[in-house]
Parts: sequence; C-alpha cells; structure tokens
Amino acid sequence: MADTAASASGSGTRSGSKHSTNPADNYHLARRRTLQVVVSSLLTEAGFESAEKASVETLTEMLQSCFNVDTLPAYAKRSQRMVITAPPVTNQPVTPKALTAGQNRPHPPHIPSHFPEFPDPHTYIKTPTYREPVSDYQVLREKAASQRRDVERALTRFMAKTGETQSLFKDDVSTFPLIAARPFTIPYLTALLPSELEMQQMEETDSLEQDEQMDTENLALHVSTDDSGAEKENASVLQQNPALPGSRNGEESVIDNPYLRPVKKPKIRRK
Amino acid sequence: MPPTGLEPCKMNRKKGDKGFESPRPYKLTHQVVCINNINFQRKSVVGFVELTIFPTVANLNRIKLNSKQCRIYRVRINDLEAAFIYNDPTLEVCHSESKQRNLNYFSNAYAAAVSAVDPDAGNGELCIKVPSELWRHVDELKVLKIHINFSLDQPKGGLHFVVPSVEGSMAERGAHVFSCGYQNSTRFWFPCVDSYSELCTWKLEFTVDAAMVAVSNGDLVETVYTHDMRKKTFHYMLTIPTAASNISLAIGPFEILVDPYMHEVTHFCLPQLLPLLKHTTSYLHEVFEFYEEILTCRYPYSCFKTVFIDEAYVEVAAYASMSIFSTNLLHSAMIIDETPLTRRCLAQSLAQQFFGCFISRMSWSDEWVLKGISGYIYGLWMKKTFGVNEYRHWIKEELDKIVAYELKTGGVLLHPIFGGGKEKDNPASHLHFSIKHPHTLSWEYYTMFQCKAHLVMRLIENRISMEFMLQVFNKLLSLASTASSQKFQSHMWSQMLVSTYGFLKSISNVSGKDIQPLIKQWVDQSGVVKFYGSFAFNRKRNVLELEIKQDYTSPGTQKYVGPLKVTVQELDGSFNHTLQIEENSLKHDIPCHSKSRRNKKKKIPLMNGEEVDMDLSAMDADSPLLWIRIDPDMSVLRKVEFEQADFMWQYQLRYERDVVAQQESILALEKFPTPASRLALTDTLEHEHCFYRVRMAACFCLAKIANSMVSTWTGPPAMKSLFTRMFCCKTCPNIVKTNNFMSFQSYFLQKTMPVAMALLRDVHNLCPKEVLTFILDLIKYNDNRKNKFSDNYYRAEMIDALANSVTPAVSVNNEVRTLDNLNPDVRLILEEITRFLNMEKLLPSYRHTITVSCLKAIRVLQKNGHVPSDPALFKSYAEYGHFVDIRIAALEAVVDYTKVDRSYEELQWLLNMIQTDPVPYVRHKILNMLTKNPPFTKNLESPLCNEALVDQLWKLMNSGTSHDWRLRCGAVDLYFTLFGLSRPSCLPLPELGLVLNLKEKKAVLNPTIIPETAAGNQEAASNPSSHAQLGGFQNPFSCSQEEEEIDMDTVHDSQAFISHHLNMLERPSTPGLSKYRPASSRSSLIPQHSSGSDGTPPTKPPWTVELARKGAGKEQSPLEMSVPAVPAAPLSLFAKEAAASKHGEHRRRHEHKKKKKKHRHKHRHRHRHDARERERDREPFAFSSPASGRSARSPSLSD
Repeated sequence: MADTAASASGSGTRSGSKHSTNPADNYHLARRRTLQVVVSSLLTEAGFESAEKASVETLTEMLQSCFNVDTLPAYAKRSQRMVITAPPVTNQPVTPKALTAGQNRPHPPHIPSHFPEFPDPHTYIKTPTYREPVSDYQVLREKAASQRRDVERALTRFMAKTGETQSLFKDDVSTFPLIAARPFTIPYLTALLPSELEMQQMEETDSLEQDEQMDTENLALHVSTDDSGAEKENASVLQQNPALPGSRNGEESVIDNPYLRPVKKPKIRRK
Repeated sequence: MPPTGLEPCKMNRKKGDKGFESPRPYKLTHQVVCINNINFQRKSVVGFVELTIFPTVANLNRIKLNSKQCRIYRVRINDLEAAFIYNDPTLEVCHSESKQRNLNYFSNAYAAAVSAVDPDAGNGELCIKVPSELWRHVDELKVLKIHINFSLDQPKGGLHFVVPSVEGSMAERGAHVFSCGYQNSTRFWFPCVDSYSELCTWKLEFTVDAAMVAVSNGDLVETVYTHDMRKKTFHYMLTIPTAASNISLAIGPFEILVDPYMHEVTHFCLPQLLPLLKHTTSYLHEVFEFYEEILTCRYPYSCFKTVFIDEAYVEVAAYASMSIFSTNLLHSAMIIDETPLTRRCLAQSLAQQFFGCFISRMSWSDEWVLKGISGYIYGLWMKKTFGVNEYRHWIKEELDKIVAYELKTGGVLLHPIFGGGKEKDNPASHLHFSIKHPHTLSWEYYTMFQCKAHLVMRLIENRISMEFMLQVFNKLLSLASTASSQKFQSHMWSQMLVSTYGFLKSISNVSGKDIQPLIKQWVDQSGVVKFYGSFAFNRKRNVLELEIKQDYTSPGTQKYVGPLKVTVQELDGSFNHTLQIEENSLKHDIPCHSKSRRNKKKKIPLMNGEEVDMDLSAMDADSPLLWIRIDPDMSVLRKVEFEQADFMWQYQLRYERDVVAQQESILALEKFPTPASRLALTDTLEHEHCFYRVRMAACFCLAKIANSMVSTWTGPPAMKSLFTRMFCCKTCPNIVKTNNFMSFQSYFLQKTMPVAMALLRDVHNLCPKEVLTFILDLIKYNDNRKNKFSDNYYRAEMIDALANSVTPAVSVNNEVRTLDNLNPDVRLILEEITRFLNMEKLLPSYRHTITVSCLKAIRVLQKNGHVPSDPALFKSYAEYGHFVDIRIAALEAVVDYTKVDRSYEELQWLLNMIQTDPVPYVRHKILNMLTKNPPFTKNLESPLCNEALVDQLWKLMNSGTSHDWRLRCGAVDLYFTLFGLSRPSCLPLPELGLVLNLKEKKAVLNPTIIPETAAGNQEAASNPSSHAQLGGFQNPFSCSQEEEEIDMDTVHDSQAFISHHLNMLERPSTPGLSKYRPASSRSSLIPQHSSGSDGTPPTKPPWTVELARKGAGKEQSPLEMSVPAVPAAPLSLFAKEAAASKHGEHRRRHEHKKKKKKHRHKHRHRHRHDARERERDREPFAFSSPASGRSARSPSLSD
C-alpha cells in the first residue's frame, strides 16, 4: 500500500524534476505531485493495492478539476483517515525561546504533527496591562494641562512675534504681547461657525457615545480613566434629535414650496 | 403726578364705540410696490408704487402720504400728472438759529413735528394735489390710482445695505439688504400710508440679480427671469389686508431651507450658515403647534418665512408672514447658552405674527393691547417649554424691571389719552419726551412699556381666568380672519384692528366680569405700588398684627386700594388671607390657626400639600409663624419691602416651594450675615432639586454675607469645598473633572460659582490668594475634549471670575503703572488673559465670548490701576469689521474710559461714531451706553461740558438723526442725562432776556435764564405738553376774543408753533375731527378754500411750486424744485383753484344756512387762520425775515 503510494509519489517527483525551469511550473508540478500522493493514499484507503499510472493520472485530473473546498474540513476529520508520511525535513528551524508568554498551543488532532508549530503566544495574543489609576490620573491631567498650555503659549508667542501686536504697557511690548485686532470682512462667519477642531471634536464625542452605548466593556474602561463619565445623564430638554421620521425624507422631492420652483422664462410683453 | 383725567378716557371709549373712524379722508384698498432696480454698489433703489384709494369725502383735493428719504420723480393720479409738495418738519426740528438749546423746547417742537406728518392725524410728508380734471370724479367718490415713481439713494434708515468689501460678485460677497426700523418706518423706503390702521392688499415685485433671493410678505406667486436672463423678478401677493408698516423686504444670496415639518415655512440664511440654520429652526414647528393649540386658531397667513441677516437693527422684527432675525441668533448643537435665547426670539416673533401683524391696532394708544397679548402668549409658551419655575422667575424679573424703571423715571402709561383741550392733564409731564407718538419715545421707555403690557395682561388673566382670556383672543382672531377674507370697501377690515375699547368689551362679553377698576389702575394711569410691611404677633389674642404702609407720593408710585393676598405659613399649615387695602387702614389683624407650643414630631404641611420635617429650634418659641408673604402671586404691580426676622427668611428659603419666594428670601438674607444664613444658603446651593437660578442667586448672596462675616468666617472660603465636591475629582480635589455639560443645571452652577467666589474678600479687602489659585487651576485643568458641548461660555465666565478677583492697586505716590511694579497676582491674571485673547485669534470661540470677557477684564485692570489706562486697544476692537459683540464690549470700555478719565478726545471719537458708523445698532448702543454711564450729569461740573458739546449734541438730535427714530430718541435721552430739561448751564445767557408769555399775556424774564432749580416751577407750569407755550392756540375753535388780539409776529421764532399749526390747519380737512365742531360748519373744515371765496386776495403760495411737469424724467429732485419760490406774499395753498372751483360754491351754499352769529365767528377764526397760515408759509422759507438771522436752509433741504 505504502509502496505504491511511495512509487507514485516518487514517479511524480521524478517527472517534475525533469523540466523544472520557472517558479510557475514548479508550483504546478508540486501541486500535481501532492495531488498524486493524495489520490494514491485515497486509493490505498479504498483498498487498492496497486494502480496503473494512467488511472492515477486520470483520477488526479478529476480531482483537480472538481475540487470542492467547502466539504474539505469535514472530510479531513473523517475517522479512518490515513496519515501520509512526512516529507524529508532538511533543516528544522530553531525557534528562539527568549520571549515566552503563556503556553504553546498544541496542534488540533486533524493537523499532522510534522506541520510547523504555532508561533509563540506573545506574537498573537492580547496582553492586558493595568495602569495605576489614581496617582497616574493626576499626573496625566497635570501633564495634559501643562502641555496644552505650553503649546498654546508657544504658538501665540510665535504668532505675536511674526505679526503685528498691541501692548497694555507702553514701556514693554514683549511680556504680554497681544496679537493685534484685525477686522474681518465678514465677521459673523468666524463668530458663528464652529471651528474645524470643534467639528472634529464633536464627531469624536458622538462616536464615543455610540461606542459607549454599544460596548459596555469599553465603558468600564473609560470610567477608570475619566470619572466624570459616570455622571453622564440622559438627554435633556434642550437637546433634541433633529432626525426626521423616515417617511419625510422620501417626500422631500414632492415638496411644493414656491422658492423651490423653477424660475420662469420671461413672457412676451402684453400690451 | 398721576393724572386725574378720568373724563377723557371715557370720552375716548365712547368714540371707539362707533367702530373705527379713519383719520384720513380716503380709504386705501390696494397698493403695488415695484422695485425694479437695486444697486448694491451704489446702495440705491429705483421703483414705483401705485395706491388704489377711494375718497370718503366729496371734496378731497389733497392726498397726504408718508414718505421719507425717497426722491420722488413723478406723481400721477389716474394717469394725470399731479402736483405735489414734499415737506418734512422732522428733518430739522428746530431751526439752526435757535439758541434755546433747551430740551423742553426741543421735545415740544419734535412732538409737533412728528404730529405734523403723523398718518394717524391724517398728515403726511407728501402732499399730492388732485388734478382739477378729477374733482368731479372725486365728488362721486370714485376710485383714484396714485402712481408714484421714486428712488432711494444711500438710505440712512429704513433699508439697510450690508456690502462686505471683498472680491467677487455681490452674491459671492454675501451682500444683502433688508428693511428695518422702529415702529412704523416703512415710509423710509417707499411712499405709503405709514399707519398701522390703514389696511390694504398688496402686490409686491422685486427685480434682483439672478443669484439673489428677494423675500417679502405674502405668497410668492412666481419668479420670472428678465429678458436678458441676468435678473429675476419675484412676484408676491398679500391678500390679507395689511398695514404698510408691516411690510418688509430682505434681498440677498440666501440659502433656502424648507422646513421639514411644515413645508409652507421657509427659512433663509446667509451663505455657509445652512447647517446652523437647520439646527436653529428645527424647533420652530413646536412653537407653531403651541400657539395654534392655545389660540384654537390656525396661523393666519398661508406661509411663513424667517430670514437671518447680518447687522440687524433689532434681534427680532416681525412683519406680515415673515420675521427678520439677527444672524447672530444662529447656533450649532454644541452651544448651550444661546439655544434658549434663540428659541425665545423665535417664539416671540411668532406671537407677534398673530397679534401685531395679522391683528393691527387702531391707534398708538391701543398699542399696549397688542404688545400685551403677544407678550402674554409668549409667556404661556415659556411656561410650557421651560417650566413653571422659569416662568415665575421671568415674571418676577420683569416685574422688578418695570418697578425699578417706573420709580426711577416716574411712570409708564399704557393707554395714553389725549383729549382735545385737556392738554394740562398731559399724563407724561414727568418725562423729557412726549408719549403721544411712538416716534418720540425713548427706547428704554418703549421696552418697559412692552414689559408692563404683558404683565397687565397677566393681571387680567388672574382676574378672569386663563380660559376666558384665551377665548377673548380666539374671538379677536376669528373676527379678524372673517374680515380678512372679505373684499375691500366693506368696512369689515376694521375688525382686524384692535382697540382698547374693543378688547375690553370682548373681555366683558366673554367673562361677564367687570375689570374696569383693574384697567383704571394699571392701564389708564401710570405708576406702581410700593408696600412696606411689618408685623407683630399678639400672643394673647393669637393674632398676627400686620401693618402695610404705602408710599404713593414718590414719583412713579400710585395708591393701591383693593384686595391683597397675604400667605402665612404657620406650624399647622399655610393659610391664605385676603386683606382689603383701604384708604386709611394700615393695620390688619389676621387670626392664627396654630398654637405656639409645637408638637415635636409633627410634620409641617406646606402650601402645596407637601408635609416636611423641619428643625424648629431657630423659631421664636412664642410664635407659631414660620414666614409671611405679601402678594405671593404677584397680582399687583408692586414692590414689597417686608420686615421679618432672619430665621423666618431662612425657613422661607429652605421650605417655601415657590422660586419667587426663595429669591426674595435670598435677597433679604444679604442683610443677615449670620452662620444660620450661611447654612441655609449653602444647603440651597447643594440641593439638587432646587431651581438652578435660585442656586445661582444663592452663590452671590453667599459671597456677600461671607464678606460681611469676614472676621468670624471659619473654614475654607465660601463655596470652595462645595465646588470641589460637586465638580472636582474625588482623588485629586484640586483638579476639576473633564467637562461634561450634559446636565444643564450643574453646568450653569459650575459656571457661576467661581464668578461669585471671586467676589470674596479677606480682612485686607483683597481676594484671598486661595480663591485666585483655585480659579487659575480651574482654567489650567479645563479639559473639554470629551464634551459634547462647547465650553466657550464657561471659559468666558472663568475670565469674568478673574476680573472679579481684581482689587484696586495699592498705589505709592501716584507712580506710573509699569510692568516692573505689577502685582504678582495680577501678573498671573494678565498671563491668562493674554493667552486667551491670543488663542481667540487662532481658534475663535462662538460669538467671541472669550474676547468679550477679556476686553472687559482688561478694562477692570485699567480701572483698578494695575495697567495704564489707555483706550487704544478698545478703540481698535471697536472698529467696524469686528463681530458686533466684541465691538459693543470695546465701546463700553471706551465709554467708561471717557467717564473716568474725562477725556474730551474719546467723547468726540464716540460722537463721531454715532454719526458715521455703518451699523445702526452700534450707533444706538453707543448712545445708550453713554446715557447709562454718562461722562458727566446735569448736576456735576465737568470740563467736558462746554458750549461746543451742547451744539454738537443739539445738532445730532435736531437734524443729525432724522433717519432713525430710535437714534434720535437716544440722542434726546443723552442730552437729558447730560444737561437736563432746561438750558444747559454751561451756555452763556441768551441775548434776548425778555420773552412774551402768550398764555399769560405778559412779558417775563426768559425762563431759560433762570437757573434750573427756579425754572423747575416754571417748567411744571408750562411744560405739560408741547403746546403749553402755545397754549392760546390749543383749540382754535374755542378760543376767546382776547387771544385774537395777540400780534402774531411776536411768535415768529417758534418752529414748534409753526409745525403745530401746520398740524392744526391740516386737521380740518380730515373728517375725523368733525366731532370737535358742529357738523354743519363744514366750511370751517377747509379754511383755505373758503378764504378764497371770502375775498382774501388770492396769491400764489410762496412755499409751493407747481411741481407737475410734463416729462417725469427730470433729474432734478422735487426738493430742489421748490427752492426758487421766494416771493413772500402769503396765502394758502390751493386758494386760487378752490375759489374757481365748484367746491367753493358748494361750500358757500352750505354757509348760508348757518346762523349769522356763528358765521361771524367762523369768519373771525378764518381770519386768524390766515394770519397763521401766512406765518407758517413764511417761516420755513422766509430768508429775509428781520426777526431771524436764519440761514437759507429750509427744513426740507437740510438732508
């Protein structure tokens, strides 16, 4: 049984080595060889002791043309499967054991043991770490505050240095430099429209809220860093959802409002 | 002085009984307004109007219309050229040579000038002569079509152009124009009958650039391109009869938003603001629903438009089927503070759509009904939207405002009556302006007038119940809507006009109740009630002896007689008592229900049925009284000063559920700086169920009593630990939590507490270092990254808090303020302000609230001597081109600087801005701020007060502000604040020392020379009304023999006189006046005409020229055309024509029927008329009058 398989695989290898010139051909040959091994082993499983080369070829062709991937896992786990012997291993790669975290997972039963081992757990699993919340929070806030202050200070100083300034003291123009007041041509735009930063922030807080609603685990995480989050109350009177009932949107096109009507072409003057 | 004139008001009511009598001799039925060219570059408008009128008297030969600023090219009546005269005495009120400079004189003259063009007196600036060809037509009372071509060049009022100076087409630049003004100001932009009582249907056409939208009243029928396809014409039809004063226009490159809930409602905003518009208006449909539901009446117009524009005249202006709002009301969903304010504006404007636009008023004295109803239903909306607490708080606020104003100025009269000949009863003698016309009213007075009107409506509601009240409104509305669907000519349209009489009649019909005493008290007379209350508990009788005194002698007060509710909270419960306030009864005995011995475990029942546990240890052991409230429902317009023990106020604060009572007790506790008060206030502050405004008020009170208790205060500074507990992190109490403003109540509290804390002072009267550090930490750790809402208002208040912490600098021998000797605390503050102000340039906050606060804080630092006082910074921020809030804040600082540093230069700078600034609101605001914070007052010596300033201000109010009623009245207010009523003391004595007092027929020392104190009496006697000086001529039809002997030439100098007589003479041609005279004396109605027939030499009138010229294309303005008419020969206007006409004969026939005696009488009168007429004729143009060195400028030429 094993012989046939071996010879079949051996012949495949041979025929493959004859003219292996480019990587694409190589790939096809390797694939074909593997299929032949598979067909041989299937035949062995089915009780054949030997097979003619031509029939193996034909079966291989058949397998190649109507190969259903979906049914494969179930098939792989069938009870009386045959284990194909490992191809000769040349160089067993040495796994560095410097980083060890958790336990290496063994192969599931349907995967042959000669297959490579799973990578070390540190390469794929989450590593939960916990900050010290209390003291850290204070430091963080402190840091955030002074950082922002420094940035703002540096930025405004830079702006003041590069542009016109006003001063509150006649004798000193550098200690408290005020960026000069500059009139706008359309002052209401800057005054009313939220800045891009605010818009961005608004989106963030919105998405944050959605997250919080969907993911309760996440919420707990937030609370640990931001205790004000716990005090969030529900929507208040002033805040209301401008979203419309769905049906309205559909009607939008039918609205008869005189300002939406097309402008008429001039008529010929009546006398 | 409370007026005693009961008679005239009754007379007036009777007049109303007959329904509406138009003061005009014709009825307007339809008007076309067509503006076919609008030039944004030149800020000009060209168009025409066509008025369809039906004469109501046979001999109508002159038609008076209103028109200001407009240049009129041509007038045609039924396609016939018509002559016209344009005379506007309000352009220059007193002639420039007048050296009077006395406000009394000015106010009289101004009132007379306004009267002379008042459409409600049948007058107008534009007088059109009906061509003689049409007289027969007129006699048959047939229709007249008056077609007027006009243009408007760089209007200073009425229409406001906003043209930003950037690149691009007008539409790309966001240029727009809109109508604006105070009360009836439509005459500023097209000729019309500018009265709220003349209703007609409208056709409005506006041809604008194809990229622009014209929004106006009524339904947009169609939009049509012009032939070159570059422009389009918007055609509007308004089929509901509407007064010209309610017509409006807004043109600009607006973004259009159809309301998703109500498709007939359309919103407009300037480019780029659409997202804000969507959010801002998303709420409007709820307001609609509310009003329609309570009024059980649909919104009367078929469509509604809201337009948000820049440089608004007022925040909200309601016109027929559209409202114009300030663009600054728009906001995004991130803004908390602006949201309720904007919603209030929307609701206010919508209430005025029903009452004010759809229902109009008969006369100025009925204004209070409209303002009252719209304000009242707006209040109901507030109650429903923001809750009863907010509503009661608002009512209390409004009540306090009106009380303070009336006590300060001497009274607001809702329903002024001006009976003929009863001028001595002038109800407004305490004021420096006439209340006879809306256009002479101080803006502040008008604001207070509206406030009082809605409060009085609420009193009526208290009396007749809300159900009846709403039934009355519904009745008014349904009558009006029936009337509005009628065709013209039916007299139904007057049903759309509300009058005081009609309103009161409706009330009595609907409710069956007599509210006459209430009306008499609050509507027909001015003043509020001032109660002083105190009490004693008589243990033996178990009686509360309450003493209620009134002050009814101070200005602005009146005596109250009637029921007064008193609520007494006793141990056994709360009891209402109704006391009868009578003339001389001061003491009232109120039996108590509880015994003073109290059951320890028992709960105390409150007014609302709630039962609470109280710690009664603070109480007086002998008395069962917890607290007492006088007039708890605010059913009297009053101020109550009530004395009760501190513990009673504390109980009231803790346990009384009415927010008004809580606020009153907070105010009272300021006077009781004790640990118990402190505890009561702290508890209130912490109590989450307590109304947030009460908690905010408690903060400030706590700061005050902490300062009074400074030597005994224990523990950390007031509110600090509270704030820490509420808003700081549990683990690190010096760090504030990251912002989360989801709960608005705590947001407002979080904003307010630091501001109040900064007012704390230690024993050295400095802000405690601890507090300052605390506030600086709040700013430092402020973190808004996770907040759904913007924190700009919060940060602005933190800057306000910093400013509040500033105390006067300790100055060593007046050294100059430099950086080196800067106080280290101030250095920290300045650091923050600098950073904030600079960051605003990079990341501006909504409405620049932070810049505004920074500017205010800098002024505080200057004023306290930490930073050199210098207006330069503020002046740069006050320039045109900054956001209006910033400008106002900066201007306020300059005004303050002007006062503190007595700077003539800055005052001049401000005055210059008043005259030249492009934004009417800013001009108005500067005057307003100068009046509120004047550089000097009439009783103070000041180097600023000199003759040049007097001249300047005089000029400003006399002629410089003729294009804006509000501005002119503002100038009058300022003049009054600076110089008082009589001649400013800094002026030299006038040359003419003697004047003739016509009334008393004797020469007296010129009253203007008499120093003010002495002149006071004189004023009281002579000032009551404009007409006191001319007393003898008050009523030309009833004057005595002697008066006729007065030489008319002695009164040559009084423009007021002339204007007044212009008025008196014009009146006869109006039928409305016939009730003053016997109906048969028809000839006297038109004295000018009969004078011709009576043989007075017919001469051409000197002040008119035949203006009808063939070829209307003449470039010359009508004003210029009238110049050449110098000949001084006097005679009345159309005498010649009249004599030749059938009209004259017609009249003569009538005259024969009269009794001889009467005839003679009339004749004499006529003679006097002629004399006056002559006088009048000569005045405005008499260049060679020997008595006057007047310049050659006529009033109508001065513009």
